[in-house]
Amino acid sequence: MSIVLKISMVIILLASFFSLYRLIKGPTFFDRVLTVNLIGTKVVVLLVLIDFLYDRPEFVDISLAYALINFVGTIAILKLKEKGRLD
Amino acid sequence: MKRHIVLVMATRIMVPFILIFSLYVLAHGEISPGGGFQGGVIFAAGWILYSMVFGKEEFYRRISRNMLLAFTAIGVMIYTLVGYVSMFNGGTYLEYAKLPGLDMKTGNSIGLLLIEIGVFITVFSVMLLLFFEVGKKDG
Repeated sequence: MSIVLKISMVIILLASFFSLYRLIKGPTFFDRVLTVNLIGTKVVVLLVLIDFLYDRPEFVDISLAYALINFVGTIAILKLKEKGRLD
Repeated sequence: MKRHIVLVMATRIMVPFILIFSLYVLAHGEISPGGGFQGGVIFAAGWILYSMVFGKEEFYRRISRNMLLAFTAIGVMIYTLVGYVSMFNGGTYLEYAKLPGLDMKTGNSIGLLLIEIGVFITVFSVMLLLFFEVGKKDG
């Protein structure tokens, strides 16, 4: 079971490196925002996999918090782009 | 941003869960990652999301700015009160086991929870004030 988890963690890391291409090259601003969001989602999956690999249930809490902060941060960046201010 | 229907509905669904999750992080700070500071930051993130989508005025209708300013002090006051109560009962500063009417085991849990609640209140109000003051139009 643990070898499957390790392989999937490596695959997720590789996938986030591939999505870095869109972050650097990305023609528009929104591609970059989407990349940041995508890497954040991959980090959430990676944290859950670490949880199963080391059998430490606290990591689910951390991944939940990460998902929430990811959502809030994306909306903040997009609002700053649209309105020029945050509140 | 009230015309973005997806954003408004997603926020309405997400915000209660963010607030509940922050209270969970606060209450489980002893045995898992988390505690007052982290819970306060998540609580503030929920309200920041709310006030980004519905506007600052909608938030200030619920908690006024003076109330937030008071909360920053109330949290510190709870922290120091717990410390001094245990000190005047014969212990050292923040020795929870000496809190009145509590034995060693429950005193440790309840004292820790009380100071975490103090940290929580201060952190969330300071985070919200920082967000609103920095985000002002005229600086």
